[in-house]
Amino acid sequence: MSEVPEDSEELAAELRTALKGGGAGPAPPDVLAGFQRKLRERSGGKFYEDGWSTSRHPPKSTYLITSLMMLAVLGLIYALLAPLSGEPVPVENMPQPVQIISPRPQ
Amino acid sequence: MELEDKEEARFIARLASRDERAFNELVVLYQERVFRILLRMLGRRDEAEDMAQEVFVQVFKAVGTFRGDSKLSTWIYRIAVNLCKNRVKYLKRRRSEAQDEYEAMAERSPMTSGGGVTSGDVARPDHLVEGMQLERVVQSCIMELEPDFREVLVLRDVEDLSYEELCEVTGLPDGTVKSRLHRARAMLKQAVERRMGDQAK
Repeated sequence: MSEVPEDSEELAAELRTALKGGGAGPAPPDVLAGFQRKLRERSGGKFYEDGWSTSRHPPKSTYLITSLMMLAVLGLIYALLAPLSGEPVPVENMPQPVQIISPRPQ
Repeated sequence: MELEDKEEARFIARLASRDERAFNELVVLYQERVFRILLRMLGRRDEAEDMAQEVFVQVFKAVGTFRGDSKLSTWIYRIAVNLCKNRVKYLKRRRSEAQDEYEAMAERSPMTSGGGVTSGDVARPDHLVEGMQLERVVQSCIMELEPDFREVLVLRDVEDLSYEELCEVTGLPDGTVKSRLHRARAMLKQAVERRMGDQAK
């Protein structure tokens, strides 16, 4: 058979109408999130990496970078605050030097 | 929405280079049609959703082998149909109890989505319910068809693929596709009439 009978095409049209049902058809799900998750898991985090869910080892480089950044921040703060501190304020009420009075000869 | 030839070639090149953004676009572009085909073929929403994700994972794996002999969409539908047929066989083996998705009217988009149809928008709520009942009967009868018949019926009559695309997706000659489609429609009509007759009684 090379052609589909005409009544068959009419039936197809009725079928399409029927499958539309009372509304717009089934709401499609969000396939993207599931696809990304599956690919991330199966590729061991190579694709769609989120930086944590698929990492198998602690990221050593992150620790090193964080330490260096903290040192840099501390150095910067010191460099900014050191000039503001100025010279040490002299204390005026310094105790007088102790005089040793030798006893009078009798 | 289909891509133009030149645009599609560029898009495929991006996919072949495993561009994640290109895959995001691909999924967004085809997820609805792929999901609909799978839902009509499998009859279960949870299965269809999982299988749709699987289809795109397979596309990701195999896109390097895509030679462009057919349209990208046709190639994706072929992957979907093949995965689906394997799944149907697996489920049949497991004698999985069919969960009638179409009983879950609450999940229907006009009822659930905030921006959907409200009761005021529906001219005749009784028509809506009748339509849903008919859809449920038809879907149930589609599930009674053999997978080979179900496949051509869903692709042609539900998803409106051309005969040429149908031949590419199924890998069958034109004559076989048409005769199989004719038989599928006849079987479906018979099943629906029988079911509707039973309901009328």
